[in-house]
Amino acid sequence: MIARAVCVLLAAAVFVVPAVPVPAQTSPIRRMADGKPDLSGIWQAATTANWNLLPHAAEKDVPAGLGVVEGNEIPYHPWAAAQQRENFANRATADPETKCFLPGVPRIMYMPYPFQIFQTPGHVAMVFEYVHAVRRIYMNTPHPEGPIEWWMGDSRGRWDGDTLVVDVVHFTNQTWFDRTGHFHSEGLHVIERYSPIGPNHIQYEATIEDPKVFTQPWKISFPLYRRMEKGLRVLEYECYAFGLERTWYKPPESP
Amino acid sequence: MTSRRRSWFVVVALASVIAVAAVDARQQGSAEPYTPPRTPDGRPNIQGIYNPVGTFYNIEDLEYQSLYQNFKPNPAARGRSLVVDPPDGKIPYQPWAAEKRKPIYQLHLDPTPEWVDPNAHCWPQGVPRHVNNREFEIFQPPGYVVIFNLAHHTYRVIPVDGSPHIPENIKLWQGDSRGRWDGNTLVVDVANNNDQTWFDVMASFHSDAMRITERFTPVSPDRIEYRAVITDPKVYTRPWTFAIHFNRNKESGLEVWEEACVEANQKNIELLKRPGR
Repeated sequence: MIARAVCVLLAAAVFVVPAVPVPAQTSPIRRMADGKPDLSGIWQAATTANWNLLPHAAEKDVPAGLGVVEGNEIPYHPWAAAQQRENFANRATADPETKCFLPGVPRIMYMPYPFQIFQTPGHVAMVFEYVHAVRRIYMNTPHPEGPIEWWMGDSRGRWDGDTLVVDVVHFTNQTWFDRTGHFHSEGLHVIERYSPIGPNHIQYEATIEDPKVFTQPWKISFPLYRRMEKGLRVLEYECYAFGLERTWYKPPESP
Repeated sequence: MTSRRRSWFVVVALASVIAVAAVDARQQGSAEPYTPPRTPDGRPNIQGIYNPVGTFYNIEDLEYQSLYQNFKPNPAARGRSLVVDPPDGKIPYQPWAAEKRKPIYQLHLDPTPEWVDPNAHCWPQGVPRHVNNREFEIFQPPGYVVIFNLAHHTYRVIPVDGSPHIPENIKLWQGDSRGRWDGNTLVVDVANNNDQTWFDVMASFHSDAMRITERFTPVSPDRIEYRAVITDPKVYTRPWTFAIHFNRNKESGLEVWEEACVEANQKNIELLKRPGR
């Protein structure tokens, strides 16, 4: 009887759904069984923020971009503005990306590689193609007591309506925000907001606080796009292994 | 090597000996099969943080494990192997492959750069080694089993949805895993492996033709038996089987935290820069 009722409902759905065209922008977001937004899937940013957070014209091998910083300005203390200029001058060797180190938060979110979000009611995990970085977002729990210096920080999440809010602390002073030397101290505090704006888009926003380096908090924002390719999986970009591989297997030479 | 890491190896070395004895004892009796709880989508729930009970110094001879602690072999563990098939406990290398790796028996304590363990480079550890090295967590979001390592912050995503492997020419450090449930056992087929990883410190190499079938069998709430059947017709004369078990780590509130590897590994760089090498 129940099975029959389900069949009737399904049949009804088949007729109803095509009859109600829904514009993409207002299509409903995906939800978990508990009603929370379902952020799982493979995502990627499409910004040029990894080259430069701020608006910039194209250069050789650098695509132009309008920037991701609200107000187009990073409020450095004077000494820090000078440090950023020095970083820029030395960027060819000083950028931690050139050493293949874990890129930190928020930089990992706009590296030009895909990442996958896994979600259960109690946990959100992110795995990244770039240097097999991982973010574990523990829900509704406090940060461990510091001082702790982690490359990717410590992420603690909570839901604010349909927005996942992630508080990230416990950073090193070794990571940059981009290839132009925008930087922070180990006192960095990032507050991220992941707001789904449809089944295949998340609006990402990060508030960046670091009183040692910046005169006031500032914000970046950009959309994350669901990667739609059939059969897609997160592959590997093992940056520091390139050029050091050794092939052990060589076919025995025939006599 | 940090003192923390060294002390861990002491624990594992002891645990390995105990574990081998325990397996022997268990095989005598016939216990009731264990049925694990279920995830919300009805799969066996094996989530949690586990410690592997094994060794990765020399999987063919646990005697070598004590080399990590005091650089002396331990005759008490001599001959005990994590290779359960063939019966002699030895990896069935083809003659040329056995010949090629012979120098490691002289060089493993003080390797020249080409004989440095790939793990010492902080590279992804590959299968099965990444489940044979310190704590790891099994996470089961719908449709997947995901493994997160403490060491090297490696991860492995195992889709459990009947999807096919990626194109064969793409080789990966952690391989391409596809899983299915056989009763309460998670069976994983691992393809697309590259030829860069070893099974232990002893130049136990394989080619990029390696294929692995793993079986994760929960036998109690706190223990998973693990077997990996390893096939590589380019390097071995026959398939062989590697077996260890995982114990649930019951430390309250434990989380798998970041342990950066290459970012802090100056030793690795020194090794490669030594004069005359």
